Amino acid sequence: MYLETVSGETSRIAELPEPPSRAALAATDLIEGIRKSWLWTTLAQQDVKLRYRGSILGPFWQTLTTAVMIGGMGLIYAELFHTELYDYLPMLTVGLIFWMFIAGMITEGCGTFVGVQGVIQQVRLPFSLHAYRLVYRNLLLLAHNFVIIPIVLLIFPHPINWFRLIELVPGLILILVTGLWVSVLLGMISARFRDVPPIVASIVQVVFFMTPVMWPLGALGPNAWWAQLNPLFAAIDVLRGPLLGQPTAKYSWAILATMTVLGCLGAFAFFARFRSRIAFWV
Amino acid sequence: MPRGVRILRAVSLSHRLLGLIPLSFLHLRNVCVDFPIYQGSSRSLKKALLATSTHGNLGRDALDRINIRALSDVSIDIVNGDRAGLVGLNGAGKTTLLKVLAGVYEPSEGRLVASGSVSSLLDTQVGLNADATGHENIILRGMYMGIHPREMRERAPEVAAFTELGHYLDMPVRTYSAGMMIRLAFAISTCIPPDILIMDEWLTAGDAQFLEKAQRRIEDFVRGSSILVLASHSTELVERWCNRGILLHHGHVLSMGPIKEVITAYRRLIDPTLQEAPPQMAAVG
Repeated sequence: MYLETVSGETSRIAELPEPPSRAALAATDLIEGIRKSWLWTTLAQQDVKLRYRGSILGPFWQTLTTAVMIGGMGLIYAELFHTELYDYLPMLTVGLIFWMFIAGMITEGCGTFVGVQGVIQQVRLPFSLHAYRLVYRNLLLLAHNFVIIPIVLLIFPHPINWFRLIELVPGLILILVTGLWVSVLLGMISARFRDVPPIVASIVQVVFFMTPVMWPLGALGPNAWWAQLNPLFAAIDVLRGPLLGQPTAKYSWAILATMTVLGCLGAFAFFARFRSRIAFWV
Repeated sequence: MPRGVRILRAVSLSHRLLGLIPLSFLHLRNVCVDFPIYQGSSRSLKKALLATSTHGNLGRDALDRINIRALSDVSIDIVNGDRAGLVGLNGAGKTTLLKVLAGVYEPSEGRLVASGSVSSLLDTQVGLNADATGHENIILRGMYMGIHPREMRERAPEVAAFTELGHYLDMPVRTYSAGMMIRLAFAISTCIPPDILIMDEWLTAGDAQFLEKAQRRIEDFVRGSSILVLASHSTELVERWCNRGILLHHGHVLSMGPIKEVITAYRRLIDPTLQEAPPQMAAVG
């Protein structure tokens, strides 16, 4: 679908102009999606509100759940790993909150298009809009959980290098962009193959235990290098490092940036090729 | 495609005094739509991966994918002021064609050029939240149509008045009857006169009083250089609302032209024993 300026009598049009290339259409879709930002921001806010409708705390119910989980896990695992709660709890808090953010985008990404099937089948909207909405919704949930971090850091103060907090900005941007391509790619694959969401859910669960979120990287000793290659660790590390005043692992930035760029290229190629099929798949 | 972008063209001298008028149109050339039907194992990634690694026949068996050609070689021109009625038997491709016109489905082959803002009433449910009230849903559905809540709030009283639902608008829409849903959906979708209005046959489920009201509203904006495309089984309704007809059969355009002729062709299709000039009492359906 595209628009051409036509001059003269329309009834005389015998041949219609060539449609633009798939890549151009995909790029238009992405840009149109951004133009409709008022729509997906409103929809995402509504998603968050509706999820907790009827509860007194509203979306902060989510915050409370996370806080309880962190408190419970912190006490037990600090004991299990024989570490000081003073060191362990901030690490767990920051790590877990960012893990929930990233894992949320991956698992929900499977439903980017299937979840809004009714809309896709009836109204023409840029497909990218659904991905923007998903990423923004998860960002809102992160904001609600984030409240816990300053509280924990006040109780267990760590020397904070305020200047390094600037690193959070590029880190978060890279993760949001990654979340975007992941939700587009997984959303499309899951729309076509319905056994993908459960597969992704189990993989995410397994990876959680393999990623240094609950346990410190140092616990692996000389084998720590392979955990550092885990892209999900890289994503968490670039955010956790500055907040805890710890150095970021050697390759984290490189891994995250590479993953973002390659992922974007791959997902765009896929999106351009199969975008028009999404309406038939869902 | 940037909907709502208007193409301007010069018109005849008499009209030129009034300036340029927006031109809305839908042009289809040799449009084909292939529906992949996925069922059972073709929905499975595991099966798909295994199928590609095994040989020929087995691969096709494991991936039982069927393609259905829902529209075949459709070329249509619908321009300003046309009220096109889409008729055909079940499974003729009416809804698929509406979805192509609405921009939901992209043609597998062929070309489509459209100009003008499109409002599609393919489904009463879209954008509606069953637990929200009628008033809330006016804003909600408006958003999916691309109308900002701010603007929609201004139009809401007028929409509410058109529905004649009164206090029901304060209740969750899950309590609404089918007829009430239709009133609500129609009122919202037409609150800003679209250049192109695309409607599926569910509209005909509305009561007579509502249908009359709806017809008046549509006539109003079709007069203002808009396009209506309506699919329906009710030849009577199509004859009353439309001036042009398109008869679809098995995905092909069987006949196209003035509504009366197309309806006659449709009746002949249903009952081949009918003569060229059907008797007045020829029962249909």
